[in-house]
Amino acid sequence: MSAVAGEMTELLATRGAEKVFGSAVTAASCARDGQTFALGTVDGDIVLVPVAGLKHPETWTRVEAHDGAVLCLAPDTGKEGFLTGGEDNRLCRIGPDGTVTELHKGRRWVECVASTPGHIAFSAGKQLEIRDSSGETTLKTLEHPSTVTGIVFDTKGKRVAASHYNGVSVWFVQARVDTVRPLEWKGSHTAIAIHPGGEAIVTAMQENDLHGWRLSDGHNMRMSGYPRRVSSLSFTRNGRWLATSGADAIVLWPFFGGGPMGKPPTELARLPGVFCSAVCAHPKSDIIAAGFEDGSVLLAETGSERVLPICLGKRGRVSTLCFSPFGGMMVFGTEDGCVAAIDLSASD
Amino acid sequence: MSETKIPVTVLTGFLGAGKTTLLNHILSAGHGRKYAVLVNEFGELGVDGDLVVDADEEVFETNNGCICCTVRGDLIRILGSLLRRRNKFDGIIVETTGLADPAPVAQTFFVDDNLREKARLDAVVTVVDAFNVSRTLDESHEAVSQIAFADVIVLNKTDLLDEAALEAVEARLRGINASVKIHRACHGKIALENVLDRGGFDLARALETMPDFLENNEHTHEEGVTSMSFSVSEPLDEQRFQAWIGALLQERGADILRAKGILHFAGQKERFAFQAVHMMADGDYIGPARAEEGQESRIVFIGRDLNRPQLRRGFESCRA
Repeated sequence: MSAVAGEMTELLATRGAEKVFGSAVTAASCARDGQTFALGTVDGDIVLVPVAGLKHPETWTRVEAHDGAVLCLAPDTGKEGFLTGGEDNRLCRIGPDGTVTELHKGRRWVECVASTPGHIAFSAGKQLEIRDSSGETTLKTLEHPSTVTGIVFDTKGKRVAASHYNGVSVWFVQARVDTVRPLEWKGSHTAIAIHPGGEAIVTAMQENDLHGWRLSDGHNMRMSGYPRRVSSLSFTRNGRWLATSGADAIVLWPFFGGGPMGKPPTELARLPGVFCSAVCAHPKSDIIAAGFEDGSVLLAETGSERVLPICLGKRGRVSTLCFSPFGGMMVFGTEDGCVAAIDLSASD
Repeated sequence: MSETKIPVTVLTGFLGAGKTTLLNHILSAGHGRKYAVLVNEFGELGVDGDLVVDADEEVFETNNGCICCTVRGDLIRILGSLLRRRNKFDGIIVETTGLADPAPVAQTFFVDDNLREKARLDAVVTVVDAFNVSRTLDESHEAVSQIAFADVIVLNKTDLLDEAALEAVEARLRGINASVKIHRACHGKIALENVLDRGGFDLARALETMPDFLENNEHTHEEGVTSMSFSVSEPLDEQRFQAWIGALLQERGADILRAKGILHFAGQKERFAFQAVHMMADGDYIGPARAEEGQESRIVFIGRDLNRPQLRRGFESCRA
């Protein structure tokens, strides 16, 4: 590199665009057809970024979806649109044109939502509700011992897992009689991820640790040593690595060769003293996107030391990152209310 | 203390003491401020402009090796989300159920880095029914804890007692918690500045004005919960103090409900406000002392089975 950082033209400026909306961004998602991104804010807005207008922020639209923060966001079951949950106790469907349809309104915040083409799962308080793809019909309501903090479907959409105090509950979506498989570990579990091959479930814990369970035999795995609480975790496409925030680098735990037990994690893209705040694994390549608390965003290759900076600092803590389904495009949002989108496939 | 941190007031009090009345009084007063209020069940609350969130009191034990460390995960989640909004609230009020032990609420603000960064525990305000308090204290372990944890007591329903009886009640409350500020009230009517956004103010003043003769008042019947205060007039050695208090809380933290102090460390111009809840301790520099206050350091312990000579020797050994 020849230029000084300050004089370098950021990749974001040549390959993408950004716009400051002012409200902290809480979540991001891409529709299944890859044509629209959505980002939610603490003030209840959904920002829709059409892929066709990726570099033209004047085509991005803001939709008022919730009264209070958008707490969770997922692609809709169909090709287009999104599902959002908020502090106004509502679950909504957002069309690609910005139409808002209320699917649920209860007495608790809708804190988590996840979907497959066939099902919607969302949580409000201790209850996890499974609906059909239309979102109109409740198939089952599953009770948990404390408030649900994270929901994931397995890759095939057959099982759904929810994190809460003292562990995780795994349920079969289609079961006639609901019996839970409890994965127990004392403490508060605050986020969840599932291995794409169904080999393990990992949670982030209140005490700057991760906890994992091997699903074949329920064996416990502990992954500790973080200086901060882990807020973001993402398995790579083939499940070889689990990328996380919580340190001043991307932390990667090996899920091969007997790992992660007894194996030290690998660190990528270390920015001394600047903490990684969000990670997202690329859906098709061995690449991790990482956002840092100063607003820097970069891509890092898992197999090498190679790092590609997207932008450097000055945008506030990166709170969320999301790739399109084929990984050609990416958006991110920050706590200072910056929304940015970049086309990674474009050639000049 | 950073002024950008949002003050959090914890409102406790036994069933029927008048918490909801006080809360309604706070919210409907024309103060022009905006509060977020966490309640355990929706009642008749609901004031335009304020945000009321229904929270379940969800307590968990942390895995940090501290046996008595239970915290409220629901507060971490809900406040964590509300604090992402900028310039939206002037303060946050957390109401607890009548039977709740205040320790987990207070400890939550020591455990979670995000809350520590963005909010500060301003005061634990306990509403007490002056008419029924004696019986409640005789019957309930939690009521004693709520008195012990309080920074401010709102002594409500004072119109039902005469002056002598009120003084007896106050004496009993001070027997448990010698450093608490007591405000008398009827129907929850109290000047809001006595309850909200107290900062380090109450602690500094309560410790300054706490008479030493209370140290002789060891006779209590509230399951052995009492207060002991100590003072030294010479500056303290900061490292020696941290080593002593750290070891003490580790060993005796289960019995020490609260510890608070205003300390002068040698070589520091500013006073240090120290506070602990069971085993968790924290502190902040709060500005220089006024000239007439001298270099005196004071500390108070509220807890069960406190050993006065041992605590005194320990505190005095921290002198620089």
